[in-house]
Amino acid sequence: MEKEVFMNEGTQLTWNSCTFGMEIQANDLNSATGQVPSYFLNPNWENSMDHSDPFESALSSMGSSPAASNAAGSSDNVREVITRLGNLRSSSGEISPNYCVKSKSTSNSGYSTPLSSPRMLNLSMVDSQIRGNLALLGNELTNLAPLSVDPGFVERATRFSCFGSTELPQRLVPTPRMESGMLSRVTSNQSIKVAGSHQSNKNSPQNGNSGRLENAEIGDSKEECSVSEQIPGGGSITKSNNGTNARKRKSTPRGKAKETPYPSASDAKVAAENDESTAKRNKQDEAAASGNAKENDENQKQAKENPKPPEPPKDYIHVRARRGQATDSHSLAERVRRERISERMKFLQDLVPGCNKVIGKAVMLDEIINYVQSLQRQVEFLSMKLATVNPRMDFNMEALLSKDIFQSPGSLPHTIYPVDSSAPAFPFGYQPQQGLSLQGGIPNNMERQFSLNLLNPSAPRNSSMQFTSMDGFCDTAPLVPSFWEDDLQGVVQMGFGQNQPQNFHGSMTAGQVKIEL
Amino acid sequence: MRSPSSLKQEFLKKWMMGLHIYGSLKKKMSLLERKKAIKLSADIAMASARNGTTCWSRALVANASKDEQDKILVQHILGTESERLMKKVSVLPLMSNKRIRSKKVLRRSYGSIRRAKKSNIAASPPNKVLAISIAKRLVRKRTLLLKSLVPGGEFMDEIALIEETLDYILSLRAQVDVMRSLANASELNNKN
Repeated sequence: MEKEVFMNEGTQLTWNSCTFGMEIQANDLNSATGQVPSYFLNPNWENSMDHSDPFESALSSMGSSPAASNAAGSSDNVREVITRLGNLRSSSGEISPNYCVKSKSTSNSGYSTPLSSPRMLNLSMVDSQIRGNLALLGNELTNLAPLSVDPGFVERATRFSCFGSTELPQRLVPTPRMESGMLSRVTSNQSIKVAGSHQSNKNSPQNGNSGRLENAEIGDSKEECSVSEQIPGGGSITKSNNGTNARKRKSTPRGKAKETPYPSASDAKVAAENDESTAKRNKQDEAAASGNAKENDENQKQAKENPKPPEPPKDYIHVRARRGQATDSHSLAERVRRERISERMKFLQDLVPGCNKVIGKAVMLDEIINYVQSLQRQVEFLSMKLATVNPRMDFNMEALLSKDIFQSPGSLPHTIYPVDSSAPAFPFGYQPQQGLSLQGGIPNNMERQFSLNLLNPSAPRNSSMQFTSMDGFCDTAPLVPSFWEDDLQGVVQMGFGQNQPQNFHGSMTAGQVKIEL
Repeated sequence: MRSPSSLKQEFLKKWMMGLHIYGSLKKKMSLLERKKAIKLSADIAMASARNGTTCWSRALVANASKDEQDKILVQHILGTESERLMKKVSVLPLMSNKRIRSKKVLRRSYGSIRRAKKSNIAASPPNKVLAISIAKRLVRKRTLLLKSLVPGGEFMDEIALIEETLDYILSLRAQVDVMRSLANASELNNKN
C-alpha cells in the first residue's frame, strides 16, 4: 500500500489540494456558526510540519467540551478537529491512500490534471482560493460523473476499497489523536454502506452536492470527533471520486453495501445518545468475539433506527491499533477505558491543588485522596465548631448577618478575596457571605422564621460600613487560598447582581438600593 | 453543571432548613449530638443541593435515611424530592450490585486470560514486570481507598468513581466554604 501511495504521489498533488480545499470549504460553509475557513487553515498550513501540536490542542479542547456539555461548543470543536485533520492530511509527507483511487479514476477517464504544480502553493490557499477551487471542482465533478457507472472502474475501485476506507483513521494512527482518542474501534460498516449507496445511486453531477449535503448534516450535528471526522472524509471521497466505492472496510464484503434509507436522529438526540452508544458499543465490543458479531450488532442497530428520516450515520467510533498493538476487542476496550480514565484524571488534576506537578497515577490518587480527606475533615471540624459555638441549635440569622457585615473584614482572613478590577463596586471582605445568607434566608420565608424584615436593618448598615472596612481587607488579602477566589467572586456577582433585586422587590429600601451600587 | 455560587446558596438554604428542623425536633442536645446533627444536615443539604443527580449524593441520602430519626430530617430537607430520591436510592444499590457482580465475573475471566498470556510473553524482563505489578497494586490500593472515601464509591467502576470524585470535591469545597463562613460569623457573634 505504501508503495502505491508513493507511486502516485508525484502525479496527484494538485488533485489532493483541490479536493481537500473543497472538503474544508464544504465543512465550513455549512457550519452554523459561520467560521471563516481561513481562520483554521492559515496557521496550520503555514507551520504544517509540526501538525501534532495544533492537533493536540484541538483535541484537548474537544476533551473539555463534553464536560461542559456545551453543545454548540462541542460542535465547533468537532469542526475544528475536522479541519485540522484535513490539514494534517494535506501537510504530512505522504499522500493518503485515497488519492491512489483518485489517480486511477482520473487516468481511467482520460481526464488530465496539471500534474506538477507545486504543493506549497496549494497549501497556502486562503479562503477565496478555496472558493475558487470549489467551483473548479464542481466542474470537474460533472465531467467525472459518468465514471462511476463504468464497471471496470468500479472493479478497480473495489481493489482500492480498503485504502479508501482506512484513509483517515489509518493516517492518524501515529498522531496524538489516538492517544486521547477515547473511542473504541467499532465497526464503521454502516457508514460505509451509506457511502456506498451514495456512490451507486448518485452518480450524476448531483453527486458533489450530495457530498456537501452530507457534510452539512454532520456539521450541524453534535458529535464526537472521530465520528464526524470520518464521515466528512466519506463525503469528500464521494465527491472526489465521484462515487467510487472507496469506503469499505476490509472485513465487509462489497456485496453487502446496500442502500438503506438512513436513520437520522435529530441532532440533539444524537448528541445525547452519543456517550451512551459509545459505552454500549464498548460493551458490544467486549462481548463480540469476532468482527462478524460486531457487524451483526451494527445491522441490528440499523434496523432499529430505520424509521427515522435519512441522514448519514454518526455514532461510529474509530480506534485504530498502532503497530504492534493488540487488536482484539478486549484490548481495544481496555485501551479506551484507560484513555477515558486518564482524561478524567486530568480534570481532577486541575481541580486538586498541588496535583499539577505530580506524575504517576498512584501519586495523583494519593493527592486526591488527601484532598478529599482534608475536605471531609474540615467539614467535621467546622460542624464541631459550629456545635460548640451554638449551644442552641438555632442559628440566629439576624445576629449572624449583622456580625458578618460589621466585623468580617479585619478578623476573617479566609473569606476575603483579592481585589478584582472587574468588581470594583464591592471589593470588601465579607459580602459574599452576606449575599449568601440573604439568599439563603429568603426562600425560607414562606414557611420558616427568617423574616424579610430582619434583613432590612442589616442592609443600610451594611452599605454604610462598606467604606470603613477596606483597610483590614487589604492587609489580609494575601492569606487567601487561591482556589476560593473564583467561587467567591462568583458569589458576589450572583448575590448582588442578580438575586437581590428579585428577592427583595417586596421590601425594597433605600439601603438595599445602596448595596447594589 | 451549575455555578459554584448557586450551589452554595442552595446548600445554605437547605442546610438552614435542616438545622431548624433539628432545633425544633430536639430542644436539649449534647455537644456531640449537636455536632452530628449539624454535620448530617450539612451533608444532606449538600446532597439535595446536587439534586440527586450524582451517585454520591444519592448514596449520602441512602446512608442518612438508614437511621429512623435521621430519615425524618432527610424527608424534611428534601421535601418533595424525597420520595423520588428515596426510590432511586432503594433501586440503585440492587442494580449496581448486579452489574458489579457480572463485571467481576468478566474481569476475573479476563484477568486469567491475560495472566496466562503474560506468563508466556513477558518472562524475559522480570524487573519490569515486577515494577508494573507493584505500580498496579499501588493504584488499586488507592482506588479502593478513594472508593471508601466517596459516598457510594463501592458501587462505582473506575470511570464513574473519578467523575463522582470530581463532583464530590467541588461540592465539598462549597460546603466547607459555606460552613466556614457561618462558623466564623457565629463565633464572632458569640464573642460580643
